[in-house]
Parts: sequence; structure tokens; C-alpha cells
Amino acid sequence: MKRPILFLSMIFLAITANYATASAAHRITASIDPPIIQANMGDKITYVGTITNNSDEPVNNIIAYVSLANVTQGRESPMDLEDWSANKAIKVDTIPPHGTYKGQWPMRLIDSGSYVAYITVVDKNDNTPISSAMSRLEIKRVLRLNPNNVLPIAIGEPMIIGMILSLIAIRRRKRIK
Amino acid sequence: MIINVKNLVKKYDGYTALDGLNFTVEHGDIFGFLGPNGAGKTTTIRIMTAIIQADSGNVLIDGHSILGEPLAVKKIINALPESNGYYEWMTAHEYLELFSHLYKEKTSKQEVYKLLEIVGLYGKENHFIRTYSRGMKQRLGIARALINRPKLLFLDEPTNGLDPKGRRDIHDLLIDLNRNHDTTIFLSTHLLDDVERLCNRIAIINYGKIVRMGELDRMKGKGTIEDIFFLSTKEGTL
Amino acid sequence: MKAACIMQKEIRESILTPKGSLWYILTSMILSVLSYLFLTNSELSLLDQGQMLYMIMNFITALGVLMGLVFGADAFAGEIERGTLEALFLSPVTKVEIATGKLGAALANWGILFAISLPYLFVVGKGGQNLFVGIAYLAFLGTFLAITSSAFSMGLSSRIKSVKNSLIISFFIFLLAGSPIFLSAAQRGTWFGRIIDFINPFAGAINTFDSVVIDSQGFGYQAGRVATIFGYTLLSLWFLKRSVSRLEM
Repeated sequence: MKRPILFLSMIFLAITANYATASAAHRITASIDPPIIQANMGDKITYVGTITNNSDEPVNNIIAYVSLANVTQGRESPMDLEDWSANKAIKVDTIPPHGTYKGQWPMRLIDSGSYVAYITVVDKNDNTPISSAMSRLEIKRVLRLNPNNVLPIAIGEPMIIGMILSLIAIRRRKRIK
Repeated sequence: MIINVKNLVKKYDGYTALDGLNFTVEHGDIFGFLGPNGAGKTTTIRIMTAIIQADSGNVLIDGHSILGEPLAVKKIINALPESNGYYEWMTAHEYLELFSHLYKEKTSKQEVYKLLEIVGLYGKENHFIRTYSRGMKQRLGIARALINRPKLLFLDEPTNGLDPKGRRDIHDLLIDLNRNHDTTIFLSTHLLDDVERLCNRIAIINYGKIVRMGELDRMKGKGTIEDIFFLSTKEGTL
Repeated sequence: MKAACIMQKEIRESILTPKGSLWYILTSMILSVLSYLFLTNSELSLLDQGQMLYMIMNFITALGVLMGLVFGADAFAGEIERGTLEALFLSPVTKVEIATGKLGAALANWGILFAISLPYLFVVGKGGQNLFVGIAYLAFLGTFLAITSSAFSMGLSSRIKSVKNSLIISFFIFLLAGSPIFLSAAQRGTWFGRIIDFINPFAGAINTFDSVVIDSQGFGYQAGRVATIFGYTLLSLWFLKRSVSRLEM
């Protein structure tokens, strides 16, 4: 009698463990689009994060945010998105069973380099946060020698003022010894 | 009389610079105002030219009170102060034009040139003042002081620092102004030679009071002007 | 008019001597560097256009106030030290007329500074919001502040009779007026910060520029600050009149 009870218990445990694992792994998934972006400094881009509820129950009060890491050789570091993005974290009230939520993260590209961006989703009922795959971001430095046509003013105006004052002084000296 | 000083008192931080000053100057005088350093000469001139105010007393200039009618007084007088500065970046011509506009609405260039000629600066009117010698600056100061053809001219040490020729030129100019242009001259100076040559009447001030006043020739008698000066300003003499 | 004569002489001195001309050239050079840095720097160039315009307006206002303080310090004390004031006092010109002429010249100097700044304002603010409104407010409030700083400094100059000491005091006043920039946004939000903002005319101008250029708020919102600045202008003019009336050699 003991052997059948033990055998049945082991089968039951295996099934529930498998089920639990399946729940932890697939209840919520996240993805980020587009997978690759190449842009210039100063450009504005938007990431779209898709959060999928893979379970049969609704998920409530989850938080999703975008993260950025600098992966440029020699400058590897996490990025503070203070100047890059105004709305870094989104709170989602509810995603219905097998439903999706699409969030948008607009961003202004402040500095050049190689970056990776990913969406992270936090569900308080889970033990681990869920991350999307990484999206590659290449930002090119733009050399702006004459933005807003500033050079003619920046160089020209002091010269013109100097010339005018010199002309006034020269004209006065011609009358004077 | 053109100047009537009545009981002038002026104190600075407890120190009495003028202690009830009284004297008069007649039309047409070249009046010498003498005294040792700190006697109150410059303070007296500044009060008479309405630059500073006395603590009490009054001055009548050609009948106008400096207390009640300072602007009217300024129109008929002018002065060359002892420490006269100039706008060195200007030319003599520009400098005189500025002051002529302050006295009158319109002054012709000819009037300015004539003034420069009187003081011996004609031909140098378009030179920067900063290139002028001390003597030339004194002349320019006198030109400025003559800009409004004053009835009364105050001069505080006008020949200070000038060479003998410069001094003689200024003397001749002052005599000419007095005799040919009817200008009364009030001359404050240490240089007794200048007083001897120019003045017909003098007053000697010491410790803020007039100690001696009158016609120069009568005061000298058989002595010299130095005798009068040193006797009058001897310590304890009042 | 005699005050106009004095004003003309002062303006000529500004243009024909290094006293003023150097100031104009240096202002232009500093604005050139600043505007180029704003527009090309990898971080600052990505500031909002309105933000850049606001920052350069503050700088121009600060320059105008500083110029007023420096020129004012020399107005009477400088003439006394150079021995030129006595000749002016001998003339049939009242002390108030002399002060009016010098104040008029100070205003003209601000006008020249403002004219020099205009091309930089246009190039920095091009394409951004509230450019013309911002320039109008700069002209309006900058003029009041220039009068305030000049009149106050001239009054001080006539009382102290020393250019060096007048400049030292004026410089400290300038630092005091500019102190709001050393406070963080959080500190300025405290009761103490708000008091400083309220009583400081320079802070009033900065906050007005912020409100107009960045937040696009109307005149009604600025009325209190403008009234405070105007009050200071009247106070400084009264101080100048009172100080010069008592001025004696």
C-alpha cells in the first residue's frame, strides 16, 4: 500500500512543480521594438514595449520601465535617463487573461555611443522581474559646426563692433593732432 | 560793491574753517586774498562760487545772494580752482564747447576760437588736452573761466607750477581782462610777487578771520608786502 | 538742455575711450562664446530652445546690471578724484541736472548693450517659443534694472566720494542680487527662498523670464514682480536725488 501512495505522490508533485515552473516562466512576457535602431545625437525615438499576460487570470498593478546601458568599449555603464526620457516607468492597472498591453517610451538621444535598451516588468506576485530581449541602439555623434547659423554672428559681430569703434576713433584723429 | 561777505561761518567736523568772515570787494578791483595754508582761502572761494554752503552768514555777488540765487550768481561769475582737472580725452575746442553749452544755448565757433586766442592757445585747439603742458592747461582753465564773460573771476593759485614766462603771460592776461574787459578779479595766492604786480586791494585771512584789509600801497607804506604778510599772520596775531 | 549736454559728453566718453568701448567689445565676445557653446555643446545644445533663450537673457540682464553699477561708481567719485567735478559745479547747472545727464548716459549704455545682444538672442532663440515676447520683456525689465543699478551706484558714488570703495560695495551688491542662482530649485521653494525671490529685483526679473519664455505665462502673472522691480527703480531714483542734493566738494 505504501508503494502506490508514494508513487502517486511523486507523480502529483512532478505535475504541480512542472505547472508552477510553467506559470513562473510564462505568466508575463515582455518584448521591445524595434530590435535595432541607428540614429543621430539629438534625434527623438520611441520604444514600444509589449507586455503579454500568458496566464488564465488577469494580472494587476504591474510596473514596466525602460532601461538603458552604455556598452561602448571602455565606457560601459548603466545610464541615468533623467535627460533622455520624461516617462521612464509605467504602471499598468490590469492586463486581462491572455491579453497584451503596449506601452510607449519616447526618448531623446542625448549622447553618442553603443547602447542596449530593454523593458523590465515587475509583478509583485512573482519572485523575479521579467525582462525583454535587448534592443541595440547605435547613436552617431553629429559634428555641428554652425548650428542655427551662429558662426557669422559669433565671429562677425565682435569684428564689426571693433571696426566701427576703430573707424570712429580714426575719423576723430584725422581732425585732431 | 561786487562782493559783500557777511559773517561767514563754516565748520568741518568740529574744526572752524571760517569764523565770522567779513569783507567787501569793489567793481574793477584786482583783489588779492592771502593767508597761510589752512587759513580758509579755498573754503571762502568755494562758498562765494556757490559750490559749498556756509553754516551761517551770507554772500552777495553783485546784489545776488548765493543762498537764494545760486544759479543767477553762477551766470555772472566764473573761477579757476586750484586743483582743476580736465577731460583729457577731449580737445581744447571740445572742452570749451561743452562748457559754452552749459552757459548758453548757442556758442559760435568764432567765439571759442577768440577765447583760445586770448589765452594764447590758438592753433592748438584740436590737440588732445592730455598732450598739453601744465602751463597750457592753466591757460585752458582760464579760457573756460572766461567762457561766459564773467563780471567776476575767482582765481585760486593761477600761476602755480608755471615757469617765469608762463607766470608773466598770465599776469598780462589778467591785467588786460581787468583794464580792457572790466572784469573784477579775486585772486587767491601764496605768491607775493603776483600780488605785488597785480593787486590794488588785498585782504589777509588767518584762522578763518580777516586780519588785515585795504589798499595795497597804503598798507605797504615804507615796508614790503612780505612784512605785512608775516606781521599779520604771526602766531597769536588776530 | 543742460542735462542733455552732460549726457552727450558722457556718451561720447563711453564711445571714444576704453571706458565704454572695451565694455562693448568684451560683451560681444562673451556673448559670442556663450551662444556658440549653447548651440554646439553636446549636452547644452540639446536643451530646449526656450531654455537657451532664458539663460542668455539672464546673462544679458546681469551684464546690464553690472555695467550700471561700475559706471555709476565712477560717476561722481571719479570726477572728484580727477578734479573735473568742480568745473561742472561752477557752471549754472544744478546737481540734479548733472545726475540726470549721467543717468541718461547710463541708460544709453544699456541701450547699446541691448542692441549688441539682439543678434545673439535671435540666433539662440530661432525656431523656439516666445522669442519676441522674451525680447520685449528683456527690454522692459532690463531697462528698469539698468536704471536701478545705475542710480543706486551713482548715489553711493556721490556719498562715498571714492571710486574704489564705491566699486567694492557695488560689487557686493551685485553678488547679493545674483545670489538666487546659487540656490537650488528646492531651496528657492522654501519660505526663505521665496522671501529672497520677492525682495530681490534681479531674481524677480529672472523668474519673469522663466515664466514668460519657458512657461508661456501672460502679463497678469508677472504683475507682482514687475511692480516690485518698478518700486526698486523709484527707490533708487529717490536715493540718487537725495544723495546728489547733499553732495559737496
